[in-house]
Amino acid sequence: MSPFKQMYDWIDVRIGAREIVKKELTGYLLPRNINEWYSLGSVLLVIFALQVLTGMLLLVYYVPDAEKAFRSITYIMNELPYGWLIRLCHAVGSNMMVAVLFMHMLSTLMMGSYKGPRELNWLTGFTLFAVVQGTSLTGYLLPWSQLSFWATTVATNSASAIPVAGPYLVEFLRGGKLVGPPTLGRFFAMHVAVIPLVIAALIGAHLFVLKRTGISSPPFGGVETKNPWPSQSYRYQSHPGGIPFFPNFALQDLTSICIYLAIFLAVVFFVPNLLFTPEAFVPANPFKTPAHIKPEWYFLANYQTLKVFPSELLGLSVQAAAMTFVALLPFIDRSPERHPLKRPLFLACAIAGILLWVGLTIWGHFS
Amino acid sequence: MIRTPKNVRTVLHVASLCALLLAAAATWHPALAASAEQPETVCIQCHSSMEGKLGAPVGLWRKSIHAENGISCNSCHGGDPKNAADAMNRSRGFLGAPKETAIPAFCGRCHPGVMKDYLSSAHGRALGLGGPTCVTCHGNHQVLKASLDLINEKSCTRCHSFERARTIRDAMQQTEGYIIGIDRRISGFRAIGVDTDRLGKSLFAVRNRFHTLFHDVNVERVKAESTQINAELGKLDRDLKVIEDARAKRKVAGGIAVFCMLLVAVLVHLLKKTYD
Repeated sequence: MSPFKQMYDWIDVRIGAREIVKKELTGYLLPRNINEWYSLGSVLLVIFALQVLTGMLLLVYYVPDAEKAFRSITYIMNELPYGWLIRLCHAVGSNMMVAVLFMHMLSTLMMGSYKGPRELNWLTGFTLFAVVQGTSLTGYLLPWSQLSFWATTVATNSASAIPVAGPYLVEFLRGGKLVGPPTLGRFFAMHVAVIPLVIAALIGAHLFVLKRTGISSPPFGGVETKNPWPSQSYRYQSHPGGIPFFPNFALQDLTSICIYLAIFLAVVFFVPNLLFTPEAFVPANPFKTPAHIKPEWYFLANYQTLKVFPSELLGLSVQAAAMTFVALLPFIDRSPERHPLKRPLFLACAIAGILLWVGLTIWGHFS
Repeated sequence: MIRTPKNVRTVLHVASLCALLLAAAATWHPALAASAEQPETVCIQCHSSMEGKLGAPVGLWRKSIHAENGISCNSCHGGDPKNAADAMNRSRGFLGAPKETAIPAFCGRCHPGVMKDYLSSAHGRALGLGGPTCVTCHGNHQVLKASLDLINEKSCTRCHSFERARTIRDAMQQTEGYIIGIDRRISGFRAIGVDTDRLGKSLFAVRNRFHTLFHDVNVERVKAESTQINAELGKLDRDLKVIEDARAKRKVAGGIAVFCMLLVAVLVHLLKKTYD
């Protein structure tokens, strides 16, 4: 008997490992027509794990002090063995996480997987999306460069457009009237302690509701495309005759993860500065404002939206309304149909929305 | 179902509205709305609205190396740049325009080394006797960056023949090109986050030493100094080569890593096929 099997038997006798494996892996059946888009959740879990790992490694050398932060990042990037790799993985990974989240949400939208009983899956996922952007924003300041300093100045200043509470909110966010050392302190605490815990909790909640509802069937492949949920009582959606999660779909997950890692590493090694402007390598100077400050690519559409509207409050209000609309989409779109081609209104809105978002992003980039 | 035109219009209106909302909703982020710029000084505000001799300096200054480096009117002429009433107040340090013989001292407040070189040169010794001052070659408001381009036939022949100046310029040409090339490489590395602090300081010192030759008219000394400066630039060149080699090695390692990931992806995909 191999040592591995002996160990497995030893564990099985104590905690019933074989039963868990059968229930959660080999006996966990998925729809036969499941597609590659379903593996994006696993890719996101890997990205989050990598962000936590690289973030912890950066914490060893990063100094969250306005006098030392930029110098510590310069040290990590230039002198620490493989520090550049860890830092670039963290910085590129944060962008990739947002990109993959976009794709995950888009596939959920297109396949109508947000519809009942999966409203909670959508809400937890949507909240995750917002919180991930929060962690990107707080992490953006930490290098204490000209780019991060002024981007945070303008970003926090936008909150002042909110009537009455605006100025107090800005001061609360900054820890003072202006962006300064207290801002760095609180953004650092949010970035390394509070937000990762919130993200972990939300991932837990997302996976919990996924386990309770069961995985949805894609509306493709010649099967019934309408939502099968009776909506009067709780029902776990099982897939009798489906394919086992392990090894079949686990291998699909692994394929997608490897493809993601190939793209991720290609960016890290070949175009690492795709995401940085020269201001990102100049220490923060509160007395010297760079000529143009642009947000990261995934905020460009919002940036341009604010410029399109005559007042900042109106721009923020439209974004808030739109955000609420998307968050509550499962409660607004009550139709049982899930196939995108059988939902022409939805499809038209989605495509127009994507094109508009891309257009605003390009416009924001060149404006 | 056949839609009436009215239905189609309604659908399009709703689609447009939803598209706008959806696009704007991708995130709720206090977006970065404006690009802030440094406020202009009162000197610029007033003089830019003036015509002729009093307004011309503003346009010239905007194209100068001083403007590029944030050196504004008050940096040279003094006065209070934030208060129009005190902008030309002598008690607030306003100096106005210097007389011709005072120009080297005027510029030398920030460029003392260059002033020393100039004063000891044939040009400096002719100060007040019809010889050139700083602004003769560098311009007064459209101040030009010190470079070999300033030694040119058109400029030099205003006072004397170009022959000797040409010999000096040719001797320095290679070094100038070397400095520009290294400066470009250092700037390129700086823009992508490489710590070029030490290299930048070394180049700054070498460039300053080289620039002291600009006011020298001793051909042999210029040649000898240029050789030494070239040797120092060679050292900087080697340091930059080390950085370039390290980055090239990273790309090779990255290529291998990407290839391995794609290979594993293909193998796992093929393995998955065996279970389908």
